[in-house]
Amino acid sequence: MPIIMISSVAHCSAEKLAEDLGRKTGWPTLSRRELADQAHTQGIKLGRIETSIIKKPISNESLAREKDIYLAYITAAICEKARDGNLIYEGRAGHLLLPGVRHRLRVGLMAPKGVRIEKAIADLNLPREKVSSYLDQIDEDFEKWVHYVHRAEWKDPGRFDFFINLQTISLSHASDLLVSIASLPDYCTTVETRQAMENHHLTAKAKLRLSTDDRTRRANFWVRAVDGVVTVTYMPGQKGIDHAIIEVLEQLEGCNKVQCTMAETNVLWAQERFHGIDDNFHHITQIAQRWGAAVELLQIAPPSELACDECIAATANEVRNPSADSGKAAYTGGVEDDGPEVSRHDNGLDKVMEELVSIGRSGGGKTIYGGSEEIIEAIKDTTNCSLIVLGDIFLDKGHEARKRQARELALNIRERFKIPVVTSDEIQSRFFFGPRQALKLMTFALAVLCIYAAAFTYQDVILNFLGGPMHQNVKVISAICVVLFVPLVAYLYGTVTGLLFKLVGVD
Amino acid sequence: MIVHFLHISMSTAFQVVLLGFIGGVLSGFIGSGGAFFMTPGMMNLGIEGVVAVASNITHKFGKAMVGSHKHSEAGNVDKKLAVFVLGTAILGIQIAVWITSMLFKGGAGHGMAKGAGANLYISVVFATILTAVAISMLRDLIKTSGQENAGAGPSRKITDFLAKLNLPPVIYFKVADVKVSLWVILIVGVATGYLAGTIGVGGFIGVPAMIYVFGVPTAVAAGTELYLAMFMGAYGALSYAYQGFVDIRLTMLLYIGSLLGIYLGVYGVKVVNEKVIRLVTSLIILLCVLSRIIAIPIYLRQLDILSFDPAWDVYFNAASKFFLFASGISGCLVILFFVMRAYHQRRQIHKTLQVERVPVRP
Repeated sequence: MPIIMISSVAHCSAEKLAEDLGRKTGWPTLSRRELADQAHTQGIKLGRIETSIIKKPISNESLAREKDIYLAYITAAICEKARDGNLIYEGRAGHLLLPGVRHRLRVGLMAPKGVRIEKAIADLNLPREKVSSYLDQIDEDFEKWVHYVHRAEWKDPGRFDFFINLQTISLSHASDLLVSIASLPDYCTTVETRQAMENHHLTAKAKLRLSTDDRTRRANFWVRAVDGVVTVTYMPGQKGIDHAIIEVLEQLEGCNKVQCTMAETNVLWAQERFHGIDDNFHHITQIAQRWGAAVELLQIAPPSELACDECIAATANEVRNPSADSGKAAYTGGVEDDGPEVSRHDNGLDKVMEELVSIGRSGGGKTIYGGSEEIIEAIKDTTNCSLIVLGDIFLDKGHEARKRQARELALNIRERFKIPVVTSDEIQSRFFFGPRQALKLMTFALAVLCIYAAAFTYQDVILNFLGGPMHQNVKVISAICVVLFVPLVAYLYGTVTGLLFKLVGVD
Repeated sequence: MIVHFLHISMSTAFQVVLLGFIGGVLSGFIGSGGAFFMTPGMMNLGIEGVVAVASNITHKFGKAMVGSHKHSEAGNVDKKLAVFVLGTAILGIQIAVWITSMLFKGGAGHGMAKGAGANLYISVVFATILTAVAISMLRDLIKTSGQENAGAGPSRKITDFLAKLNLPPVIYFKVADVKVSLWVILIVGVATGYLAGTIGVGGFIGVPAMIYVFGVPTAVAAGTELYLAMFMGAYGALSYAYQGFVDIRLTMLLYIGSLLGIYLGVYGVKVVNEKVIRLVTSLIILLCVLSRIIAIPIYLRQLDILSFDPAWDVYFNAASKFFLFASGISGCLVILFFVMRAYHQRRQIHKTLQVERVPVRP
């Protein structure tokens, strides 16, 4: 039998629907409110996440970690409660939890605004004239929450199995309807769906342990559990943490084996403004995936932006480094309401870092204030870097000056650090096989075929020219032809082989 | 068909491509030119020695040109350093050619022993130098195994010692970011040239010398050596082509295998543990040395230093060839095994397995 996940905006009577369903089916119920209270007692700072998202819709690595802990906590709690197979869960975005578990029935609940207003007046004893704007505000906050926590749109119909509008149907009939849908064979528990649940459960428990233990809580890692094998991927900056991970996960119920893997290297991505999940992000994370690398972000801000008090006091280039070992100085994203207000220039860095954390590829990030020299100074601190990607930099300059300065900086970095440097425009052609590369491959392969066919078809003439009687008269020309022809063949055929290897992802 | 050029059947062509592939894999993985394997391999197919050498050096020239261009793009070529080393290496090559020619001529009056003196000399130098290289690699491997700073970078003892001596004039090399005394460059250049001219493996000395004696970063040493090889190869290709010994078909067939092999070898360097690289390289070199040592009694007999039935030469030759091919083929297979394994692991995202332990239940 299924797990019914009811999601709704506030004041839609979702809790009443869950209760009614629980009564009719006899299945256990669980609400987000209960979980929030339990999470609070466990020390998970849910209030801080909410405040941060609602008051200051910006994110940072520390906030992303807290969000991950929260998600792991509710996932673990739901899996625990649903151990016998059934559960009715009511929450904000329950339908987005436990992805891949096929025996969950994802239900959306909506009520007309008038009905919600009446409910809110009854629940909160608010004056009628204020309720409407109150509901608008909490709906807006709700959407921000879902967007940030689940990186999805709440209203996306593709994520629901069933959507109920309480405009005409009563709660009781709605619950009857859900009971009959839940009994359909499509939502039956199978061995496969049970295994998926167990994998979610073990992943969540492992994440929770690692995120709350002092030995590992500051590290960036990516956790996945499959059939009792827990795999933890961590970044080169945390070299040596593997033993702590093993110790923390020892004796974790359901865990048969722990595998720790370390990203082999870093890809440094330097840019003035980050634009979330754009083409550059996709390309760089694909390279990181292919190379087993972590992506380290370097945000460049003009010196004029060095305005915040902390920055001036520090008189250092590096203002913030939210990597694992800099927890004390890590920027809080405005989570702590009592703390001092810190002005800063985010320019999309945190959003990208959050995405990198979520896919287990974050190698940390920092902001530097200045130009080429400061960038070079910052690169000195980068460890084990295999590639530097220069994104949009020198944005205050004209197009030509920007390109020239970026090229000069790339050359300078290459010469000083012996690290390959590419601009974001070059990534596609250097590392990916696109239509241009396909055309090049075909053209060069055709040229190689023609050359080889000609050489072996007319070999007697050629050998005569190279070493036969004819050669005696044209020794110099023959030698020059050899020296010019051979690099051409090497270049053409070398390009063909290089592109073929790029096509199969060997680089 | 021109007398010194062989008729190339499909089977011969396939074998040349295979030789190129094995040579390419070894070349990409251990950083040598692969000539130590390809030239004798081609001779074994019935190709004239001089044609094999000429076609191989021409093949090396084109390969080095493309390779050094790629290294240059990555900022790994110190052209100033290459010019200094090349200038002195030519002197070393001339010394090597002079010694070899003297020994070759010295044996001319001994009938069967013609060239035996030169062959013995080349084999002894080959065995001595490559044994020293392989043993130092193995010793380094044993010494650093188990140490935390293993792989922390090459030793700078010699570099620091020479820097303290401060023998003027000292030249600064911008790309490599090192200061080296001209006298040290002269000695290393002459030694590199001498070995390139004598046994054809200048890179075995040039690259470690640049790393350990000059203090040049490894990538720059490899890139600069390739840049040097391009000029040496061009000189060799021009000379042999002028003499009419270059069989362009062999060069082209070698490319088919070698450029594929190089990509795999270079990929192997990126994904295979450095200790494994050193171990495989040193074992391949030791097998090559063994192959050469087995051939030495033949030259000793030809020089009347040892006496045994000349019919045994066939067995010594066969054993020598066996070890040469065993070193190349087994080395190539080991490298390909590691490359395929690493490629597979990368595809599965879990790259470097650090720890795998079954938790102990209470």
